Amino acid sequence: MTTNKSKDRKQKANEKQQNIIDALKDHGAKVYGDLDNGQFPKLSIPSRSVSNIVYDKKLRQYILGNSAALRSSRNSSQLRSFTQLMWLAFFANRLTHEKKSSTLRDVYYSSQAFEIEFEDQSESDNIIVDLEAVLSKPREDFHIFPEERSSIFGDLNIEYTIPGYEGKTMNLSNHPDGYAIGPSLTTAELVDTSAEIVIAIEKGGLFTRFVEEQVDKKFKSIIINTGGQAPRSTRTLLKRLHDEMGLPVIVLTDGDVYGEHIAMVIKSGSANAAHLRDLTVPDAKWVGVWATDIEKFKLPTIPMTESDIKRCHDLQSDPRYQEGIWKKELDVFLKIKRKAELEAFSKYGLTNITDKYLPQKLELAKSM
Amino acid sequence: MSSIKEKFNQISPSEFFYRNRDLAGFSNPTRSLYTAVREFVENSLDACDQKGIFPDVHLSIKAIDPEKPDPKPYILTVKDNGPGIETKHVPLAFGTVLYGSKFGLKQARGMFGLGATMAILYGQITTNKPVLVKSSTDGKIQDEFELLLDIQKNKPVILKHTTKEVTKRGLSVSICLEGDYAKAGSKIKDYVYETSLITPYATITFDDPKGEKFHYSKIVNEMPPPPTIIRPHAHGIDVETIRRMMVESQFEIPTIDDAMVEKVRKDLGLAKNNLSFTGIMDKAKKRWKTLSRPVRVVISLMSFLKMDFDKLNKIRIDDIDVPNKKLYYWDFGDSQSKSVDMDPESSYYKQLTGTVQGETLTTFLTKGFQRIGPSTAVKFAEFAGFKPDKRMGTMTNEELVRLSDSLQKFEDFLSPDPSCLAPLGEEPLEKGMKKFFKPDFCAVIQRPASAYSGFPFIVEMGIAYGGEIRPGGPHVYRYANRIPLLYDEGSDVVLKVVNDTDWGRYKVKGEPPFVIVSHICSTRIPYKTVGKENVADRQEIERELRLGLQFLSRKLAAYMSKRGQADMAKKRANLYAKYLPLIAQFSTELAGKTKEPNYKKLLEEEIIVDDK
Ligand SMILES: Nc1ncnc2c1ncn2[C@@H]1O[C@H](COP(=O)(O)OP(=O)(O)OP(=O)(O)O)[C@@H](O)[C@H]1O
Ligand SMILES: [Mg+2]
Repeated sequence: MTTNKSKDRKQKANEKQQNIIDALKDHGAKVYGDLDNGQFPKLSIPSRSVSNIVYDKKLRQYILGNSAALRSSRNSSQLRSFTQLMWLAFFANRLTHEKKSSTLRDVYYSSQAFEIEFEDQSESDNIIVDLEAVLSKPREDFHIFPEERSSIFGDLNIEYTIPGYEGKTMNLSNHPDGYAIGPSLTTAELVDTSAEIVIAIEKGGLFTRFVEEQVDKKFKSIIINTGGQAPRSTRTLLKRLHDEMGLPVIVLTDGDVYGEHIAMVIKSGSANAAHLRDLTVPDAKWVGVWATDIEKFKLPTIPMTESDIKRCHDLQSDPRYQEGIWKKELDVFLKIKRKAELEAFSKYGLTNITDKYLPQKLELAKSM
Repeated sequence: MSSIKEKFNQISPSEFFYRNRDLAGFSNPTRSLYTAVREFVENSLDACDQKGIFPDVHLSIKAIDPEKPDPKPYILTVKDNGPGIETKHVPLAFGTVLYGSKFGLKQARGMFGLGATMAILYGQITTNKPVLVKSSTDGKIQDEFELLLDIQKNKPVILKHTTKEVTKRGLSVSICLEGDYAKAGSKIKDYVYETSLITPYATITFDDPKGEKFHYSKIVNEMPPPPTIIRPHAHGIDVETIRRMMVESQFEIPTIDDAMVEKVRKDLGLAKNNLSFTGIMDKAKKRWKTLSRPVRVVISLMSFLKMDFDKLNKIRIDDIDVPNKKLYYWDFGDSQSKSVDMDPESSYYKQLTGTVQGETLTTFLTKGFQRIGPSTAVKFAEFAGFKPDKRMGTMTNEELVRLSDSLQKFEDFLSPDPSCLAPLGEEPLEKGMKKFFKPDFCAVIQRPASAYSGFPFIVEMGIAYGGEIRPGGPHVYRYANRIPLLYDEGSDVVLKVVNDTDWGRYKVKGEPPFVIVSHICSTRIPYKTVGKENVADRQEIERELRLGLQFLSRKLAAYMSKRGQADMAKKRANLYAKYLPLIAQFSTELAGKTKEPNYKKLLEEEIIVDDK
């Protein structure tokens, strides 16, 4: 059964695919033409150096400025990385055409079949980021995925688009351990849902607790475990849930500066991905655990470490932390110099967090 | 050396050197075999150099009983095509120590006049066999001597002397000596090899006891000009030398014997007829200009004695007391001592005092030393606190010491004349190095002449890198007056300078394949020992070595960075050859083409460096 809406979506997905293929072809043709004309081909890569990363208030995320570096095959010190980049484009082109996916690690090993040596995986990871910057598209768009998987659970029907599964559907509340968020899920069509909210939670342990306590049903929600800092595929999915299904997103993290920043990255991206758009959910809300909650809920705490404190100071100079709860909570963390984990609620009983804390926060979120 | 001199007085020189043979490099069978080879080869090269003959030296070492283990007796023969030695000098040259023709101030390998004799002595002591010397100075007749040395008397004992008709000039020495070739072999081979590097105009052949032949033909066809003998420089002088020079320059009062009287008569044209005293004086006045100095002295004496030839025959002059203007003589007839006054105004008086008191200081200086003209001599006299016309003969011991000290200290003498030096020259050195080391890079320099304590010297240096040179450098080849120095490396001034150099600064890193050649030429190399193996670190020599090495190192650095660039260019070219085809392949598929782009012309294009 294909609705009009899903036809639309399918078309959109195909378009996206085609955009990538066209972009790759354009770059390839330019390089081909240069070579044929006896010219050393070159590519312009937006600079990702700190000086070129600026915060865009309108987009509410970090973006790259206008400066770009020329990578020329004529420069012997750039020749190798130029070739690596060309290979990656070639490889991504094949992946996209064949609708196959590959991991960062796969890329590292696949290169060896083409006499392209990467010194280590971090070198190949870097070239992948280069290609993202050239195309200004996330690697997932050209079918390269990270290893880390986060998971999702809740009443959501999807329809696969990956080869071999096309048309198959699935409800994401069928399996109590949740579903891994991988390439097949991020590319699947989101068909429909009864949920009214998405709860992103930092920790696997709490995710399991939430499933057990039927938070999905009790609060009409889709639960997502970000597994610490949310991977890009997860952020893509969060964005799609928000944009395509119209669901609000709330984020629940540990009560420390790292937790606060996990929420911020979901909301407005990271400097690392300043070359990419479409990875952010500007309307996402961080609902806890706040520094002020620690006092309020009398949570057991541990002292902040040196690096926690340094991180607080770093973030104080980030333009996104200049107002609202972001600024306020950061200040309080720095004042009390203590932090509390999500599990701290267990002091008052294992279900305290889902019975007492969560409802309060959900209520609060509506007014934020 | 002063302690050696002192001992000379008590024992014969041969005996002394027998007791001190360690000093001269004859300490054990290994070292002795090597030293003996050196002494004879160097004598041959010296002899040829002196006469401008391209040396052709043949060295051979044969074991008397090859089956015996080392150390054992060997026969060492060195044959050359040099000038040979005149018959009467042969026994002296090879049978006495401190007999040499090289004491004069000029550059030669030999210095002490004992090298050959020490080797012969050593052979005689260890094997009790005579030395065999064959010498021909004309290429027709050859003397053949069998000599033993009388150690106590420092005298040769001629066992046999024969002559023979030959067709070639030259000299050959053959001795029998206890040696250890198993141990000395590699050093001797090194010595022959290194010698042929610094004498590229020589042909050297070596037949070793194991039947191996090493042959180095001459590789340059011009010979450095032979060094000349020159007068000493004031800065290199001591009291002893001044005394010796004074004796040479001074005329003694001639003994008035029959022969002398005959001579005076003849010179005055009075051989037959007898003249009175006044007649003689008149005759002398007329002929004064043609008379020789001794004759003038005799006439002057006669003028005060107022005697004719007959009377003159009956006396003996005892003393000429210049300050008191008195002349003392012994009268055989009366058998008593008598005296006459001398008139200081008389021109004869001046003639006599001039003879007795010697030359004036300024004449002595300008005649006896290099680089001193009349005005410098006067300036010096003032500096030293002497009257310029002070007679040398009137100097007291203390004054002589003051003179010698002042000569050392006076700074306005021109630096020593280097014309007596015979450096190899840049071109032959470079040719030799290129031929020997087959390097990728070679540079040489001859520093301008300089001097240390009155002895002129010149430093020549060369540097070679890469090619067939083995890694692990710098390999240092040290030479002094064209002698390779192989022993006692640690304490040498050249090595000190090389080791002080920070090679990293000159882009030479790791275990570099490179060679440094240094050659010091001087009328006197400041060797640390008589064995002539290492050069003492005189500040002036060290400075020249440093400057020379710096110059070469900078050239090497320039070459190294060029070489680095060439290596880089090659590497770059390889990079393009490797990566461009890949880029072509990938872009072809990306662009959806079937035929690869024509990128070949990019590979041929000269690639410009773009080091951003
Ligand atoms: N092959 C030769 N041809 C011609 N003359 C020679 C030869 N060998 C030696 N002489 C003469 O014999 C002399 C004595 O040689 P000897 O080696 O004893 O002393 P030296 O070479 O003068 O000094 P040193 O002790 O430093 O070697 C030399 O000065 C030289 O005049
Ligand atoms: Mg000699």
